Amino acid sequence: MNYLLHILIMINIYAILVFSLNLLVGYGGLLSLAHAAFYGIGAYGTTLLMMGIGVNFFPALVAGILMSSFFALFIAYPSLRLKGDYFILASLGFQIIVFAVLYNWIGLTRGPYGIPGIPRPRLFSLEIDSLPEFFIFTGVIFLLVFFFIRILCRSPFGRALKAIREDEMTASALGKNIPSLKIWAFVISAGVAAISGALYAGYVTYIDPTSFTLDESIFILSILLVGGSGNIKGPLVGAVFMIILPEALRFLGLPDTIAPNVRQMIYGFLLVILMRYRPQGLAGEYRFE
Amino acid sequence: MSTDLNKILRLNNLTKYFGGLKAVDSVNIDFKKGKITGIVGPNGAGKTTLFNLISGFLIPDAGEIYFKNKRIDGLPPWERARAGIGRLFQDVRVFKKLSVQDNVLLGRLIHPGENPLNNFFAFKKVNRMEKELFEKARYWIEFVGLSGKEEAPAESLSFGQQKLLSIARMLMGEYELLLMDEPTAGVNPRMIKNLLNLIKQIAEQGRTIIFIEHNMNIVLEIADWVYFLDEGKVVSVGYPKDVLGDPKVRKAYLGI
Repeated sequence: MNYLLHILIMINIYAILVFSLNLLVGYGGLLSLAHAAFYGIGAYGTTLLMMGIGVNFFPALVAGILMSSFFALFIAYPSLRLKGDYFILASLGFQIIVFAVLYNWIGLTRGPYGIPGIPRPRLFSLEIDSLPEFFIFTGVIFLLVFFFIRILCRSPFGRALKAIREDEMTASALGKNIPSLKIWAFVISAGVAAISGALYAGYVTYIDPTSFTLDESIFILSILLVGGSGNIKGPLVGAVFMIILPEALRFLGLPDTIAPNVRQMIYGFLLVILMRYRPQGLAGEYRFE
Repeated sequence: MSTDLNKILRLNNLTKYFGGLKAVDSVNIDFKKGKITGIVGPNGAGKTTLFNLISGFLIPDAGEIYFKNKRIDGLPPWERARAGIGRLFQDVRVFKKLSVQDNVLLGRLIHPGENPLNNFFAFKKVNRMEKELFEKARYWIEFVGLSGKEEAPAESLSFGQQKLLSIARMLMGEYELLLMDEPTAGVNPRMIKNLLNLIKQIAEQGRTIIFIEHNMNIVLEIADWVYFLDEGKVVSVGYPKDVLGDPKVRKAYLGI
């Protein structure tokens, strides 16, 4: 039961990440490799505020969101004026810088030692610390994020983003302010990713930089590719599938020494098969060309 | 500089090179407000390049563009669109994965709902605009004869239908100046008639139309004024009958 709840909590946390990335990738058509960086900024920002100056979880969460959005704005402004490929490179660069800072700025982040003993989120007098409580807590926040993103995707803003994804030149001939729309998508997506970071830190109560690497960014992106992007159900299908898959593979009973490698191989193989036969993902609308 | 308001669009010495080729070569044109102007010429004469320079997809190598006496050649395409310059593409350019209705709705130039914050903090204003746009979209979809296909993805339409869709989308923009690149190519004859009537109606409302066309009967029927381009240069100007009767034009275009 606890094991199942743990998986469900992780699905909630990853679903928030993937939904926020979907706004950028599936709607805006912008591939980003920096999502784990914003996830990490949310986790570290919230944690440092809670532990450093004793702020409660919720104000710290809001500050973490704003911090992440601010960084996104800072890199979006120059890089989104360039064509798509340059944006991927800029996001990759940012991801590497953030990891390097988290790893090496030991005075602030304790670097590779990580930060243990992160306080649990506290809602008024209730401390959220049991698994069922955490499941409900992350579930409620996921639902809020879900409706927030859904409103945006179905709004004229989402429609204009899709137009940019389909044909940027025509969208701009129809008066769509391309740089502004892309920057908004990036800033919102980074802000929402920070929520996942804060939840993860509060749930695991320990963070270190290895949770926020380029590999993690690629993993989040692959969840979106597997589930499918450009609509609402794709990311959800992806999150459920990709979080449950490695857990399910545990039951294959592989010897401990080779299990992680075999799991990676099965993973990679499934991705290749999927991209060959279903490039739009399991339930997606948009396919990368 | 002329401040004559009758001259809605002024091209001053406009020049564009592609490598060593002069695609548009020192073109000087004053387009008159409320008129239908035809641009004709052989393939590769620089007609579409001229449109791309006006709508901002290409940056001129020399010369200036004035729209309503304001210089616009430094503005990005979306600002030129919002200033009132609409564009119909030769290759239709509908948003293929989006529905017919979404395509038409996207024709609206300025929408408060395109700012994400307004969808939460000013949603009434956004909803009001959406309601109004849905009405308008329905009107234009019906006008071009695509009723019943509102929910269909644009890619499921035939080329001719996609063309009509792109016309409906353009009409949502309520532009003062419309650049139409071969508006009737690929459209069925019955629809062409409606389309030509519409173009005349738009001009009667005081809006300006510049169109590229290969069908000389259509040029003769609707154009008030014609420019003939060859190798990036304006070779002949005048009333449609005169230009199409010009021996230089007949030689360059028809080979007779």
